[in-house]
Amino acid sequence: MNLLWKLLRRHMSAIQLTGYWLANLAGMAIILLALQFGRDLLPIFTAPDSFLRSDYLILSKKVGTLQAIGLGSSDFTPQELDNLQKQPFTRRLGTFLPATYHITGTIAAGGMELSSELFFESVPDEFIDVRSEHWKFQPGDRTIPIILPRNYLNLYNYGFAKSQGLPQLAESIFKKVSLGIDIVGNGREEHFEGRIVGFSDRLNTILVPRSFIEWSNAEFSDQPHTSPARLILDAANPADPQLATYLDRMGYETEGGQQSGKTAHFLQLITIVVITIGGIITALSFFILMLSIFLLLQKNSRKLENLLLLGYTPAQVSRPYQWLTLGLNGSVLLIAIGLLCWSRHLYLPSLENLWNDYTPAGIGITSAIGIGVMIAVTLLNSLAIRRKISRLWDNR
Amino acid sequence: MNSITLQQVLPAVFSDTPPSSSEIWQQEITLQKGEYYLIEAASGTGKSSLLAYLYGYRRDYTGVILFDGSPSDLLSRNSWSKLRRRSLSMMFQDLRLFPELSAADNVRIKNRLTHHLTETRLREMFEELDMADKWDTPVNRLSFGQQQRVAFIRSLSQPFDFLLLDEPVSHLDDQNSDALARLLLDEAKRQEAGLIITSIGRHPDIAYNKIYTL
Repeated sequence: MNLLWKLLRRHMSAIQLTGYWLANLAGMAIILLALQFGRDLLPIFTAPDSFLRSDYLILSKKVGTLQAIGLGSSDFTPQELDNLQKQPFTRRLGTFLPATYHITGTIAAGGMELSSELFFESVPDEFIDVRSEHWKFQPGDRTIPIILPRNYLNLYNYGFAKSQGLPQLAESIFKKVSLGIDIVGNGREEHFEGRIVGFSDRLNTILVPRSFIEWSNAEFSDQPHTSPARLILDAANPADPQLATYLDRMGYETEGGQQSGKTAHFLQLITIVVITIGGIITALSFFILMLSIFLLLQKNSRKLENLLLLGYTPAQVSRPYQWLTLGLNGSVLLIAIGLLCWSRHLYLPSLENLWNDYTPAGIGITSAIGIGVMIAVTLLNSLAIRRKISRLWDNR
Repeated sequence: MNSITLQQVLPAVFSDTPPSSSEIWQQEITLQKGEYYLIEAASGTGKSSLLAYLYGYRRDYTGVILFDGSPSDLLSRNSWSKLRRRSLSMMFQDLRLFPELSAADNVRIKNRLTHHLTETRLREMFEELDMADKWDTPVNRLSFGQQQRVAFIRSLSQPFDFLLLDEPVSHLDDQNSDALARLLLDEAKRQEAGLIITSIGRHPDIAYNKIYTL
């Protein structure tokens, strides 16, 4: 092999190979960086408990003049629900079921009583982002579990409490507050205890278990209301243009994370564009290498012929060139991964500063993809070299 | 490989005007392992072509060449490579040495493929052919006669059933020609090999079993 290499490395152009090496490094680094950056940023938009989690959309119909004067309905008909359920972008669909009776809530604290009219709504449990063992209700229970929007807590702590000179309260204290709930309807009146079991980032309403709403509506409501006015949609991709078009056409309004969905989609789009650019550079550099090696084979063709005549197999004669490409491609890969680690070292701290509890994606998958690309490129190179040398044999 | 048979072989360039009195073209002849053949030819009668056909690097002929009864043109590339390492050796008329490598490296590049001879034996051969002082000299600084001897030693650096030599002594003086003939016979006997030697005039002085006129 040593003698072979001594013989075959002649006519090798350092400039061409350096050119290839740099071009390939640029392509590879761009691909890996884009991929990794995309992967590092994506959890911020898509992690199940991320505040930017975007897959859930709250849908309602636009409230117009007709509804304001009591004509027309802003409820969803069963057909509309069915239609929505069938759309390709729909993963799951849930309805908001409101309580249709009068509710008064009372807080007694320090000898002071504060009471207010309230409203309750419920959604199917699988849409709720709060996990609590107390989240259940059976007819006969005297305690109603309640989930409040986290906004309310913030409003109280940072708005109300500060301006009124009241103490700021932690979540755990809120959970201990006893809430009196009085329900009036259908000619009846009943008293319950309310218990706050958690705060939701996703649902901007006062939530109680669906079983309670169903039971209490039957008991206290004089208008058995079945059509929901608001829906919760778990969309496969909230930035799906089909979804936007559909909502627009049906005149539905959304509330919730569509913005971040768009951002996530945009991020994916940019990642794909940049990866494509990296791919094109890599492909071009691949052709530079192929041209350079073909030129080399051409210049060395007489020697290669002679080696084949001495009994060297095409595989043996190809090997030095294949090792050359493997060496070039392998070093490109190693340095590209090095660059990747170095640039992550630069950008990860700022991501960690921006978001608490941020865990970046590992570089395992990116490295694996890099290795995959390199293996593919090297295999293609090797095959082309082998073919060229075999052709030398045939044309002799 | 024990025999090489040529059946009606004719170079494509002669297809319009076949030579009238060739003992090889368009004949059926069999060359046996262990026998020594001299092929005498005027220049332009296709002597190098014949060896190229036998060694498998040209196909521009009609007819069939059989190795132990099987057509040689059906061999795969790898089978040819194997043959050229184990059964068939050739010294080319244009030598096909690597000019930038030393004389020793030119021989080594073959011997490392076959592991046939020891480094000591190679040096002895250089000695016998009066080439000992050229061991490390790049081939492009050797005369054609000296290069012929390097190519010859290289052709011996492998096991073979047949050794093809294309005008091996064209540029050697009598003394070197005799030294080459001795070495050639030694090796041929040791390996019980067949020799196929072409010549347009000078040829190694050995007892040929058959002399053909091309």
